[in-house]
Amino acid sequence: MSLIFPNWTNRLLAAAGAGALIGAGYVGTIVFAAMHPTTHHIGYQPTQPVPFSHKLHAGQLKLDCRYCHNTVDRAAHAAIPPTATCSNCHSGKNAKGVTPHVAVHSESKKLAKVRESAATGDPVEWIKVHNLPDYVYFNHSAHVNSGVSCVSCHGRVDRMEKVQQVKTLSMAFCLDCHRNPEPHLRPLDKVTELSWVPDEDPEVVGAKIREELNLHPKVNCSTCHR
Amino acid sequence: MSSKKWYRSLSELENSSEFDEFLHREFPQAAEEFPEGVSRRRWMQLMGASLTLAGAAGCYKEEKLTPLAARPVNRIPGEHQYFNTSVEVAGQPYALRATSNDGRPTKLDGNALHSSSGNGGSNSYIQGSILDLYDPDRLQSPFEKDNGESFLRSWDEVDSAMSALVKQFSADGGAGLGILSEPTTSPTVARLKAALQKKLPKLGWFEYRSTSNSNQLAGAVKAFGQPVRPLFDLTKTKIVATFDCDLLSSGLNAQHYAKTFADRRDPKGEMNRLYSVESEFTTTGTAADHHLSLASSKIGALLLDLEAAIDAGATKPADDASHAEKFFAALADDLKANAGDCVVAVGPGQPADVHAIGFRINSKLGNIGKTMTLVRGDKPVDHADSLKDFAKQAKSGELKAVVILGGNPVYGAPADIDVTSAIKKLEVSAHLTFLPNETTGKCDWMLPMSHILEGWSDTTLADGSYGIGQPLINPLFESRSAIGMLAVLAGESGDLQSLVRTTAGNVSGKLRTEAAWQKAVHNGFADGTAAAAIEPTTAAFEVDAAGDWKAPVEVSNGQIEVLFTSSSTVFDGQFANNGWLQETPHPLTKLTWGNAAVMSPATAKALELVDHQLTKVEVNGGRAVLPVYIQPGQATGTISVALGYGRTQSGIVGGDEKQGVDPVGVDVSSLRTSSSMAFATNATLSPLQSEEKLASTQDHFAIDKTGMEGIHDRIGDLIREGSLDEYNKHPDFAEHRVHHPPLESLWTEVSYEGHAWGMAIDLNKCIGCNGCVTACQSENNVPIVGKDQVQRNREMHWLRVDRYFGGDDPEQPEVFSQPVTCMQCENAPCEQVCPVAATVHSDEGLNDMVYNRCIGTRYCGNNCPYKVRRFNFLNYRKETKQDNLLQQLVLNPEVTVRSRGVMEKCTYCVQRIQNTKITAKAERRAIGDNEVVTACQEACPSDAISFGDLNNPNSDVAKAHADSRSYGMLSELNVKPRTRYLARIRNHHPWLAKADHDHGHGHSHDEELGSLESNGATVASHDSTNSQEASV
Repeated sequence: MSLIFPNWTNRLLAAAGAGALIGAGYVGTIVFAAMHPTTHHIGYQPTQPVPFSHKLHAGQLKLDCRYCHNTVDRAAHAAIPPTATCSNCHSGKNAKGVTPHVAVHSESKKLAKVRESAATGDPVEWIKVHNLPDYVYFNHSAHVNSGVSCVSCHGRVDRMEKVQQVKTLSMAFCLDCHRNPEPHLRPLDKVTELSWVPDEDPEVVGAKIREELNLHPKVNCSTCHR
Repeated sequence: MSSKKWYRSLSELENSSEFDEFLHREFPQAAEEFPEGVSRRRWMQLMGASLTLAGAAGCYKEEKLTPLAARPVNRIPGEHQYFNTSVEVAGQPYALRATSNDGRPTKLDGNALHSSSGNGGSNSYIQGSILDLYDPDRLQSPFEKDNGESFLRSWDEVDSAMSALVKQFSADGGAGLGILSEPTTSPTVARLKAALQKKLPKLGWFEYRSTSNSNQLAGAVKAFGQPVRPLFDLTKTKIVATFDCDLLSSGLNAQHYAKTFADRRDPKGEMNRLYSVESEFTTTGTAADHHLSLASSKIGALLLDLEAAIDAGATKPADDASHAEKFFAALADDLKANAGDCVVAVGPGQPADVHAIGFRINSKLGNIGKTMTLVRGDKPVDHADSLKDFAKQAKSGELKAVVILGGNPVYGAPADIDVTSAIKKLEVSAHLTFLPNETTGKCDWMLPMSHILEGWSDTTLADGSYGIGQPLINPLFESRSAIGMLAVLAGESGDLQSLVRTTAGNVSGKLRTEAAWQKAVHNGFADGTAAAAIEPTTAAFEVDAAGDWKAPVEVSNGQIEVLFTSSSTVFDGQFANNGWLQETPHPLTKLTWGNAAVMSPATAKALELVDHQLTKVEVNGGRAVLPVYIQPGQATGTISVALGYGRTQSGIVGGDEKQGVDPVGVDVSSLRTSSSMAFATNATLSPLQSEEKLASTQDHFAIDKTGMEGIHDRIGDLIREGSLDEYNKHPDFAEHRVHHPPLESLWTEVSYEGHAWGMAIDLNKCIGCNGCVTACQSENNVPIVGKDQVQRNREMHWLRVDRYFGGDDPEQPEVFSQPVTCMQCENAPCEQVCPVAATVHSDEGLNDMVYNRCIGTRYCGNNCPYKVRRFNFLNYRKETKQDNLLQQLVLNPEVTVRSRGVMEKCTYCVQRIQNTKITAKAERRAIGDNEVVTACQEACPSDAISFGDLNNPNSDVAKAHADSRSYGMLSELNVKPRTRYLARIRNHHPWLAKADHDHGHGHSHDEELGSLESNGATVASHDSTNSQEASV
């Protein structure tokens, strides 16, 4: 039987196989890289200028999130508190050597920057952990007032000595909840209670709250992009 | 279909080949990085001066959060805060509301609490002045010049030098020392001036601004024996007659007049009637029911005749009488018939005698005390005389030192006053200035002046109320306000606030209490301080104004009249370095980035001039070379030239010879003399054999190319108008102007539950003032692109105001203005062609633009019948190494900044919609009926724009859509625009009424196909989208 293909074509098969392997590897790498938590900054945990412990303040002392982030239910930003908020407990000594307020750790070295800021009026330069792109307009008040807890996006901050990002905060992450909000809804008075878990099926609890608050999360582009 | 003849420009009317080319090339030139003919350096400078933004975030950048050490009361980080402040902008006092974002002012609007803003309306000057605050060309610290070299000085050094100066001259009561100030209404400046004059009785005080209102005050002195100024009450006025007067959009109280005028434009109520006589079309002229183009020099004669005609009674003119005769008879008839219900308003450029006649007519008609009140005005100061005095005293050695407070007299002075050599003669000269300008360069001391938002100040508002200007931000540079400077000279101590509070206490004793002061600061003005009306008796006087104004004009060279107008955008040149304003098209000519010799077609023909051709204008012994711009409606035999251009030392936007930046436009002050500040006669124009391409946007975004012959008919379909008679007979005539076959969609019809956002624009209220255009630019971070890019059809304005001419006589046309934005079509043609779903519909009916998806095919722009999509051909915000942090401060943080290669367009201010929704939701309530306010709507002084939820029958917009006048532009294309227009109704005097449109009534709206054959033009327009040329 005469050969239809010359001998050298046998090598093409091997080359095609190798190509397929390399291609698969390439696609795999891309997908892996794109899906990798670090791409979404999961685990991003910068060291702050003041070693503020959310675990201590929010977890053990049970300070409400809104004691410091007091604009969260009124504004787009959950503002980082001014130094004055820290000074409510951690004020240093005044010129007469007296601490004017309740003075917790008034001479702690770790709090030096806070005292310095309170004295000079210069801000403490905190480092942003959860950072959305500039073309996304996320509004905290819209979510907090709709029964979405802090924990849904920020995780158990009350257990973090040093805050880190735990969710992807990608568009898919947002859309998952906007399309199916029920599992993430809770009564408004439990929004800042990070350890709260529903007694019943979260879907059922959520559905009730959704009905109650008349929630219709939108998935239009202009909902978040302006 | 309307029977009227329509056109947008003469080249369109004449069907020129240039216009044809324009139509064929939707985006006339291919994109390229640097435009031809502009040096890279100039390009970078221009772009650097427009808005810039730090580079796009590629890799993860650590970001800092810097909360304030102590947060001020009521401050919520990231949320807007509003402060009322009353300040002077472009020489006029305004009650404003400033928006502040985390401590930086980002927007200025009218303060709705005060009547002078209408209902919170504003204009381009107000909107644009926020950009000035962040101008990198601002003078940043004091300098002293010595032997041609500049030395940096501190304010302490300046203060001791100035105090020494005052001390030096105080020996002789101040003789030899002078202050040259811009006129101001500030009571604190007046108080400090008085204090200084008490200390130095021989101090010379001079005032100059290139345009002023002193003729009106001088006319009042003639008519009443005392300086008074009129305040009109247009709510009570049936007949408004303006003479060379842009009552509704420039001058004192214009926003109030626009609002009260528009309130009576609803044909369902009692409509007013506006007559306008003017040399150059103003926006008031475009809003007029009857307009007469007449040379400024003849307006006095017309008014004298009018007075006689009112006395004698008008008779109906013959049918074949000229437009001028008919107009005159109708006006006289209307004024007489509505005595006590009318006003006669004379413009600031007219001589005092003409103002006096105007006052006398008002007085005779019994208007004073009814439709107009008179309040006390300042003693009239002839600014040209004052500046002449200054120059004379400086040259004679009588004056040895001068402190110039603001202004730019070297540039703005008329040709016969040589301010430069006067200043050079002086021993010491100091200039307090916002931007270093032509005057600053001639002075020994260059002192930075604060922006209006950088310190305490005060002003006298239109109704005489005491207005307080509060600081929104600390001075960005080492600057000082005029009040601060005067206080140093007068030896008064105390900060700005205490200086202003002292004055406030003098104005009204009540303001001495803390509570009253706080309230006045909160409101921006003090209640109960409005000026009292006075009713002076009319004196007998003679005027020198008689003449024959009716005779047809023979255009003859050597007898041309030149009208000097302050620019509608850069004013007297003070905004020359403001890119937003330079790029705002003139309401009538649509010129950007420059001025021209504007003349009517007949004038141009007689002088053998064509568009863009350079011509040498010679008058008063001065000459200027200007490009020609042919504008229908300019009075025959006159040209008008805008002041404020041709600046050689204004900055990198407006021109700076030191940095090698060419001036924008042509300086025409060489044509002006102190005796002809408003207009000059006997000019000669000689054609030159070269041309300069002007950047006019008038033919840009032409809607279609089908049937050029029929375009005049179809403009009547786009902008629909009728007479009041026609409206009364057929209230829904507008909807029936266009007939089309039943509309059927290829797509499933979508219904909108929830919200359905929509807009309505009342063409009967719109005066075409451009306030909305600049407001949109400020709100939505719209970039400027520069003159060269405008010439290439690449301006980025999301909102444009289309302007059409109508009528058979281009010398006496009717004008129509129509704001056009994205119509948010329910059946959007742009969405159907986007290959990457970068423009998609929201379930509230918004046509969302997703910048991140856009790959820049520009198919959408091509398929848009309204031509409202704008493409970023270049990165108009390219990061420049210097100053970008400063310029970023003006950006609205609520709106994404776009980059090269993406489409953008009006979003209906979606950021405002979303924020209102979120606020309402958090407060557990429904959105108010008219709670969402777009930026253009907010700025509109005449409330022509309404916006809201179409599904809410109580909203203004739903009511407007249901109005019988409402029509959708190009709705015959079945695009279902969410913006609808309310047809314009002209309230004609019967003697000037034109034949009714008798076509179309009685047909059903969706006509049978069979009748279409008789309606060729409409069919053509129906097909127009198919014939759009794809030019990508």
